[in-house]
Amino acid sequence: MNKPTGSEIRVASPLKAWASRFALLILVGAAFGLMLIGRTNTFLVEETRTAVTDMVTPILDAVSQPVDTFSGVIDQAETLANLQSENVALKEQNARLLHWQAVARRLEAENAALRDLNQMVPDPGMRYVTARVVGDPGGAFVRSVLINAGERDGIEKGQAATTGAGLAGRVAEVGLRSARVLLVTDINSRIPVIVGDGRERAVLAGDNTNAPLLLYLGPTVELTPGDQVTTSGHGGVFPPGLAIGVVSAVSENAIRVEPFVDWDHMEILRIVDYEMSGILDFKTVEAARAERAAAASRAAATEDSVTGGAVR
Amino acid sequence: MSQGVLHRLDGVARNISPFFVTLLLVLLSLLPLRITGFASIVPEVALIGVFFWSVHRPDLMPIWAVFIIGFVHDLLAGGAWGPGIVGLLIAHALVVWQHRFFLAASFVLIWCVFMLVAAVSMALTWLLTCLAMMAYIDPEPVFFQFLMTVAVYPVLAWFFLRGQRLFQR
Repeated sequence: MNKPTGSEIRVASPLKAWASRFALLILVGAAFGLMLIGRTNTFLVEETRTAVTDMVTPILDAVSQPVDTFSGVIDQAETLANLQSENVALKEQNARLLHWQAVARRLEAENAALRDLNQMVPDPGMRYVTARVVGDPGGAFVRSVLINAGERDGIEKGQAATTGAGLAGRVAEVGLRSARVLLVTDINSRIPVIVGDGRERAVLAGDNTNAPLLLYLGPTVELTPGDQVTTSGHGGVFPPGLAIGVVSAVSENAIRVEPFVDWDHMEILRIVDYEMSGILDFKTVEAARAERAAAASRAAATEDSVTGGAVR
Repeated sequence: MSQGVLHRLDGVARNISPFFVTLLLVLLSLLPLRITGFASIVPEVALIGVFFWSVHRPDLMPIWAVFIIGFVHDLLAGGAWGPGIVGLLIAHALVVWQHRFFLAASFVLIWCVFMLVAAVSMALTWLLTCLAMMAYIDPEPVFFQFLMTVAVYPVLAWFFLRGQRLFQR
C-alpha cells in the first residue's frame, strides 16, 4: 500500500476523525431515513428491489439447480423406503378418485346444459406461465419467494401463483426476468375467498404462520374444520374457484385455514394469467381515469360553446 | 513492474474479501433448500459475517461495508427497508466499542459474546420491523432463528478462520 504524503494526512485526518466519530450516528440515521422512504414511496422501493432481484436471479437460478437435484435425490430415497405403503395408499386413492371422476363428468355435463339454458356469459380464458422457485428469503418477517420469470415472459402484477395442489400466492413485484410472489401466509396478504357449502364470503389474511386466518365472516356463519376454502373471484384479480385449503381450526377468536400447498417443497409455480382487468390492474384504471377526465373536459367545452352560442 | 501491480491487486482482493464473502453468504441464504421447516428459521448469515470480521479484522469490515451488507440483505428479503441495517450496525458498534476485550478472548468466550450481540441485534430488528410494517409480528420464529444463528456460528467461523489463515500465508 502507498503511504500517504504529508499534505494528504493533514487534510484527511480531521475529516476522517470526524467521520469515524459520527459514522454510526449518520448511518443509523440513514437507515431510519430508508425506513421512512420505504413507508412513503412504495414505487421507488419496488423499482430498486426489482432491479436488485433481476440482477441476482440468474445467479440463484444457476446455483439452485444442483440444490434441486440434490433434494430430488433425497426425495427419491425417501420414496424408495416407503414404496409399499405408498402403493397401497395410492391404490386406495385411485379408487376414490375414479369415483370422483365419474361424479365430475356428470356434473360437467349438467353444468354445460344449465349454462346453455341460462345463456350465461362464459368466464374469461386463462393462460399459464410456469416458473421455477429460485429464491426463498425465509426468516420471520416475510413469506415470499422469487421466481425466474418476469415481464418478458408475460408475468404481471396481481396474477395468481398456484402449485398442483392449490393457490400459493400472488405476484407482488415484477422485474424483467424475475418476480416476487407474496405467499398467502404473508402478513400483508389479503385474498377474497368463499368458504364451505354455504358459500360464505370472507377474506383470507396471512399472519406469517403456516395457517392464515379467515376475516370478515358474517356473525351467524357456522364453519367446521374440513370446510373447503376457494378464491371467490371478487375484485376480478383471481379466477374464481381456485382451491386454497381447508378450515383447520375454529375457535372463539380465530378461524384458521390449512393451505393445500406444501410450502417446504415448492419447486415450480404456475402463474395464472386471468384475462380480466381487476382492481390491481393499475394501467387500465389509469387509462380509464384519463379517458373520463378527457370526456369530462370535452363535455365542458361543448357546454361552453353551446352557452356561448345562446348568448350570442 | 507487473509484479508490483499483481501484488497490489492481490492486496486489494484480500482486503475486500470479508465484505464480498459476507455478501455472497447473504445471497446463498436465499437458496430454497426445501428442508421441512427450515425456511422460517434460516440463520442470519449476514450477522455472523459482520460479527466475525468486526472481531478479528475490524479494519476489513468498516462500518460503511456493514451498512451496504444490511441494505442488500433488506432489499433481497423483500420486507421493510432499514431494520436489518440497524441490527447489523448495532452489532458492529457493540464489537468495536469493546474491541480490547476480544484481543485475548478464547473462541468459546467469543461465541458466548456473539450470543449476546445476536440477541440484542435480532430483538432490535424485530422491534423495528414491527414498527416499519405497523403490525405485531409473532416473535417466536425470531427466537428460533436466533438459536439457529448461534448454532451455525462455529461452523461458519471455522471456515472463515481457515480462509484467513490461507490468506495470511
